[in-house]
Amino acid sequence: MTIVENPPSNSAAFVKAETDRLQREFESSGDAATFHSGRSSLIDLAVQHRYKEHLEPAFASGLALLAVGGYGRQELFPHSDVDLLLLVAATPEGSRKEAVARFLQSLWDAGFRLSQSVHNVAECCEMHGGNIELNASLLDQRFLIGDQRLQQDLSTRFPKFLHSQRTSLARQLCKLAHERHAKFHDTIYHLEPNLKEAPGGLRDLHLLGWLNHLFDATASGWQRELSESRAFVAALRTFLHLRSGRDNNLVSFDVQEEAPAQSYLRCNSPAGFMREYFRNARAIHRAAVRAMESVEEKGNSLLAGFRDWRSRLSNADFTVSRDRILFKSPHHLEADPNLPLRLGEFIARHKVSLHAEAERRIQQHLPAIRDHLEHPRSIWPLVRAMLNQPNAAAGLRALHDSGILGALFPEWDSIYCYVIRDFHHRYTVDEHTLIAIESLEELARTKDPSHRRFAGLLSEIEDLSILRLALLFHDVSKGEESERHCLESATMADQAAARISIPPHERQMLRSLIERHLDLSSAMTSRDLEDPATARWLADRVGTVEVLKNLTLLTYADIGAVHPSALSPWRLDQLWRVYVVSHQELTRELVTDKIAEGSASKGPAEVQAFLKGFPTRYLRIHTEEEIRAHFDLEKARQQYGVALEIRKQEAVYHLTVLAKDRHYLFASVAGALAGFGMNIVKAEAFANQQGTILDTFAFTDPKRTLELNPTELDRLRQTIERVLLGRIDVKALLKNRPKPSPPTRSSRIQGRINFDTEASDAATLVEVVAEDRPGLLYDLASAFSEAGCSIEVVLVDTEAHKAMDVFYVTAHGRKLTADLQARLRGELQQVVVQ
Amino acid sequence: MKKVEAIIQPFKLEEVKEALKNIGIDGMTVTEVRGHGRQKGHKEIYRGQEYMVDLLPKVKIELVIADPRLNEVVHTLTSAARTGKIGDGKIFVYDVADAVRIRNDDRGESAL
Repeated sequence: MTIVENPPSNSAAFVKAETDRLQREFESSGDAATFHSGRSSLIDLAVQHRYKEHLEPAFASGLALLAVGGYGRQELFPHSDVDLLLLVAATPEGSRKEAVARFLQSLWDAGFRLSQSVHNVAECCEMHGGNIELNASLLDQRFLIGDQRLQQDLSTRFPKFLHSQRTSLARQLCKLAHERHAKFHDTIYHLEPNLKEAPGGLRDLHLLGWLNHLFDATASGWQRELSESRAFVAALRTFLHLRSGRDNNLVSFDVQEEAPAQSYLRCNSPAGFMREYFRNARAIHRAAVRAMESVEEKGNSLLAGFRDWRSRLSNADFTVSRDRILFKSPHHLEADPNLPLRLGEFIARHKVSLHAEAERRIQQHLPAIRDHLEHPRSIWPLVRAMLNQPNAAAGLRALHDSGILGALFPEWDSIYCYVIRDFHHRYTVDEHTLIAIESLEELARTKDPSHRRFAGLLSEIEDLSILRLALLFHDVSKGEESERHCLESATMADQAAARISIPPHERQMLRSLIERHLDLSSAMTSRDLEDPATARWLADRVGTVEVLKNLTLLTYADIGAVHPSALSPWRLDQLWRVYVVSHQELTRELVTDKIAEGSASKGPAEVQAFLKGFPTRYLRIHTEEEIRAHFDLEKARQQYGVALEIRKQEAVYHLTVLAKDRHYLFASVAGALAGFGMNIVKAEAFANQQGTILDTFAFTDPKRTLELNPTELDRLRQTIERVLLGRIDVKALLKNRPKPSPPTRSSRIQGRINFDTEASDAATLVEVVAEDRPGLLYDLASAFSEAGCSIEVVLVDTEAHKAMDVFYVTAHGRKLTADLQARLRGELQQVVVQ
Repeated sequence: MKKVEAIIQPFKLEEVKEALKNIGIDGMTVTEVRGHGRQKGHKEIYRGQEYMVDLLPKVKIELVIADPRLNEVVHTLTSAARTGKIGDGKIFVYDVADAVRIRNDDRGESAL
């Protein structure tokens, strides 16, 4: 460009005319670099002109003017501050001080926003711990005019200072960058990002430049790799400044609407523009993070040692080097298309990051990975293994960043970097989803009492894969801008679940969670939680305690990922109230809501007669296929007196028993299982109107007795049959069982027993929470039976070491009297504290 | 001018906002708060353990209106927020000395 050498006296008008011209050129070409260098040159001339006018007469020597910071780099955006260093031999006094004041005032009057500092050479060559930005700004110094000997002195001493202090300076710059990133919650995916300060913004580019200056090789190649991203950020910031007429760096919703009209931003829609923004921000952010890691490792033997130690995690598929994963045989990506899923599991297990080389290899093979994963495959075990790891979110994030998640679930493509115009939300939909999954991992570690109650629920869910998958898909239809996003997200999740062969009962749970994922938050704000109708509505929507727990945690994670302070104490209280109200109703209705004739199903009359009198919960937790199987068992029971079935599903055995009700029945089966060393994790006992008992037990085989001795399964089946027919005494089976070692004091669970006579019209509710142990259920059930009580309904749940059992009991067909309650409490107390 | 502060049940917020909108009141500040009056809280039992819930979640609505609209606004608030049960909340009315619109320095009722 051409600048007039001798500015006319009305300099402000001259500067304005030249700036307008530069602006017009930028708007037609989009070339921000030309604008910035042109503006810098314009200011150079103005500064030099005023130096001659105001400073030269007062300073024959002892003063030099240096452009620093963005001005030094010749990256002056339309409304950036003009960073000017007055390098002095001695602090100006008297007439010299007045000359400096006149000089600065003349520049302000000409319309420049100056950010000036006055320092001598020694001050420039020392660390400014409280103002590290000063040291950083000097990295981009450029001589303008003045005493050349002074400037040469600085040119000699400054590199020496840098060389001696570069590690310390670099670490402090990294510390500042970490603090800045933390203000934005370490994510680039904000709905209205700050182009300068946010991760992946202009400051990260500056950081890369500074670190490159300090260590030539720190980020070698980044300038070439990021040239496109740098040009995009520069053009966008120039547009932001010109649009707002001030130093504005917020990519607001309004800016996103206007961006497609700027041809140089090369996008045709607000969504397309934001995707382009995030693509560039991600490239910058990654480069900055890697450069910072490289700096932080320099001279830190402890950190380097830790990272070397982590290399022991390497296995047949992956090598871990300096805390980053590489493929041992990258060509296997072609031959073994499930390798990327194992990669996800590895990261989810160990929380290590992908090496750039591994990312490059994945990109190279991504089309083949997509081809493989787009067809239906039985890969649920691999996906589940990843989702059940302690750092599942890290695994998902790595797969998301590398494009594998989109290959596995193309449904995710529609929410990739998707911005929703909602002032409550802070992040893009995909980021919101990943933060939601992370928040459950944080919940597991929380010590905050207001969150601990939710952490308790989390610990009660043994397999988190379906909950995490539900979170992954809960907003997946938002990219379609649908009015019914819960239903449509559930449908999209169901299609994906079918494609990867998730079993039907888990697909049902997945669908339920997504379809109802707004129910609890809606109840928090729009339903009277004191009203019994609300409790009934919630119980009806949720169906079972299992779904309720999952849905509560999904709601917790979903709200928490809206913005950092969304989970206020107020909302935590409301969500917990919704959970408790629903839980109480689901427990109460076990005996109050029974299946009436004709209301159960469309099946034949004999099936309906069989179902009559079971709690309505029975219909919610069993598929039609299971109900038919139960009815077949009932026919067998009518013939042989008892009927039972044991089947194994993954690591858990499921026992179904049908028999005529009698004293000690439930306790006997529990005792028989305990006698074989089985660990009961869930149990339910229901009775129909004809007095037929249907007991279901889910149990594990901790010592693998059944697996290692196939004949033992038949022996167990025969033993239970004989116990049910009263031909074996259960006490004899239990006599020689070894006693388990007690849990450590810190993990011991406080036992609790509660009687509730209001929950039901016909029975007393007894809730028992206790430390789980083999035989506990047998002991509890026996205590009821020995006290002359009949167990009407049982709901047993066990998580980790905690047993949570609900019994509805009667004595002589009525609720328990106060005397009987007191006696029973004593008996149960003895069982609980054993 | 009067400032009206209403503490209401959370589930009544949408109804109250809609009722105020119907009489031309759009501007308000809504805060999630916890507290109790005569309702005092209640006991909650979860898995056999009793919890005292002493501070109940409520919503606070604040709005400033011209004096002549006071009765109409209070009537609208009470009608929309009432269930007839303990815990429906309270309305407080304060005198306001002045109002300033920060954007353009409007003063008094024209700033509302």
